Amino acid sequence: MKILLVEDDRRASEYLAKGLRELGHVVEQAFDGEAGLKAAETASYDVLVLDRMLPRLDGLEIVTRLRASGSSVPILILSALDEVDERIQGLRAGGDDYLAKPYHLEELAARLDALARRQGEAGFVGKLKIADLELDARSRRVTRAGRKIELTAREFQLLEFLMRHAGQVVTRTMILEGVWDYHFDPKTNVIDVHISRLRQAIDKGFERQLLHTVRGAGYTLTEDP
Amino acid sequence: MALVSFARSSIARLALLHGVLLAVSMVAVLGGVYLGTSRLIAAEGDQLIALEAQGLAEEFRDRDLDAFVTAVVDRAEDPWVRGGVYELRGPRGDFLAGNVVVLPDLSVQAGGWAEFDVAVARGDANASRRIRAKVQELGGGFRLLVGHDVQDRRTFRAVMLRSLAWAVLVTLLFGALGGWWLGRRISRTAQAISASAGRIAAGNLGERLPVSGSGDEIDALVMRFNELLGRVESLTTTLRAVLDSTAHDLRGHLNRIRGAAQDARKAAASPPEATATDAVLAEIDRLSETLQGLLRIALAESGTAPLEDVDLSAVAVDLAEFYQPVAETEPLSVAVDPGLVVRGHRQLLAQALSNLLDNALKYGRGTAVSLSVRRVGARARLEVCDRGPGIAAEHRELATQRFRRLPGSSGLPGSGLGLSLVAAVARLHHAELVLADAAPGLRVVLDIPLAEGHAPAAPAAPPARAPRA
Repeated sequence: MKILLVEDDRRASEYLAKGLRELGHVVEQAFDGEAGLKAAETASYDVLVLDRMLPRLDGLEIVTRLRASGSSVPILILSALDEVDERIQGLRAGGDDYLAKPYHLEELAARLDALARRQGEAGFVGKLKIADLELDARSRRVTRAGRKIELTAREFQLLEFLMRHAGQVVTRTMILEGVWDYHFDPKTNVIDVHISRLRQAIDKGFERQLLHTVRGAGYTLTEDP
Repeated sequence: MALVSFARSSIARLALLHGVLLAVSMVAVLGGVYLGTSRLIAAEGDQLIALEAQGLAEEFRDRDLDAFVTAVVDRAEDPWVRGGVYELRGPRGDFLAGNVVVLPDLSVQAGGWAEFDVAVARGDANASRRIRAKVQELGGGFRLLVGHDVQDRRTFRAVMLRSLAWAVLVTLLFGALGGWWLGRRISRTAQAISASAGRIAAGNLGERLPVSGSGDEIDALVMRFNELLGRVESLTTTLRAVLDSTAHDLRGHLNRIRGAAQDARKAAASPPEATATDAVLAEIDRLSETLQGLLRIALAESGTAPLEDVDLSAVAVDLAEFYQPVAETEPLSVAVDPGLVVRGHRQLLAQALSNLLDNALKYGRGTAVSLSVRRVGARARLEVCDRGPGIAAEHRELATQRFRRLPGSSGLPGSGLGLSLVAAVARLHHAELVLADAAPGLRVVLDIPLAEGHAPAAPAAPPARAPRA
């Protein structure tokens, strides 16, 4: 994955670039807003990581200009400002995702992955399938090896979210945002409990486990871990 | 403006007072004029009668009786002496001359005054006219009554009284109307100021109170208040800017520290090194969590968080469902009235409710936890209850202070910011937060005003205090 990282904090930029490169990504760096916008306009990237506050040209301004020029490259905004309201501003300006500093590298990588893949997907998929697990979003029906699985409405949403991100790592905050649309910070391991319930429903009694825990990062739904 | 509320307002009282005062002063002025005028007219009339009577008495002394009688007859019959009334009686009470016969019926001392009505033929009708007369002793037993028609005087008095009554009535009417108009003007200004102040209190700090432009005292007052508001706004903006730059700075540092620590963790060559860097990473995470908690509290306290209409019922149902799987022994009992909308911040409300449920599940130690959202008057009452050890009455005040961890909680994880965030969010929403005894356990009650247009005109909510166990 080719990533453009626009971050004026050089040390933070170095750590992040190094971490992403170790995960196998190609990272190009820009250290101010103008250079970032120029790079984004001249070369093509799978995803952009923009700091919210940049010298010369503000992060939100870059997003606005890129969107105005018709670019649809996925953009993740990094911010050290208070996230509750910043997030709304960032997304309104045309950003696709938002992450507050200090972030975990795993969290950032998982989100970038999700953003880049979302771009590749072609529209709405009514039916999702992983191995012998099938989900029909229209009839709200889930089957495993042809056997119907009963899920609560929220478990269904959770499974749909995981299946749309099949093969990717999804973090706990991504799940809370994507399934519940909240950005609070649950002190307890509530998400883990929800996942283990879902795991009970879809994996119990089957030899092949589909829902896996990724240590230190989150979860992934995949046939070949 | 409803008539009832108008009548109750100080404006209505002002209008009424204005009208009454005007009317009273009108009565005083016109009444004075009336009394003075009628007294003056009466005195002048009486003087004329007295002078005529005196003149006749002198004539009686100077002339012989026959000539005097003729003079009286002449006067009584002279068509030019209009309204003159005369009656001359001899020593034995015998009628000698005159145009009326009233003396036998009058019980008047000599030199005294009398008033009586006399029927006068006027055209076809018999009109009654008022006469005022003086009875003059002429000497030798002769008595003479000299009177004048005072009917016009009476008519004049009546006309004057009627005008006075009308004047008072009109004054009362115009006074009340003027008062009402004046009052309505003041009342409208007051309402406009009040509405604007309400919006400012609700967080729209850029708004200013309306200035009418008339340059009156109210305008001067309003401009003073606007200066004050400008100061509040600039202070709040500065506070927010300091908050943002502090957050930006600290988070930038934490971010670099975390990057470095993560690098070190990857480069760790030995298990002790790995353990040490893991510990550093965990501490960094805890620190940034605390920082985030403080920033969220600061955001809520600053009053600059943008508010919108939030379906509190939906948020409560979401969070109850979210936390349901964590309730270990007994399921979370949930009772939520649907569709209670408050003016608020959805994410901060969710965070506050999450903190409450988290606390209840953690400190309740496996006891039954209940969540309810009910409409109480114009408020939504959110209640979270556990059956755990609760908080001793003397510690409840402390519980909402920052970094305050209560005795007995040392074994459990927590930053000591959970309830202070709830308190800050409560203040942001103009809500009342009460920690009470659930006997046993803790009952947290949050009374949040419903959003405008969602609050029914219902009786006021009873206070959120719980009966002490």
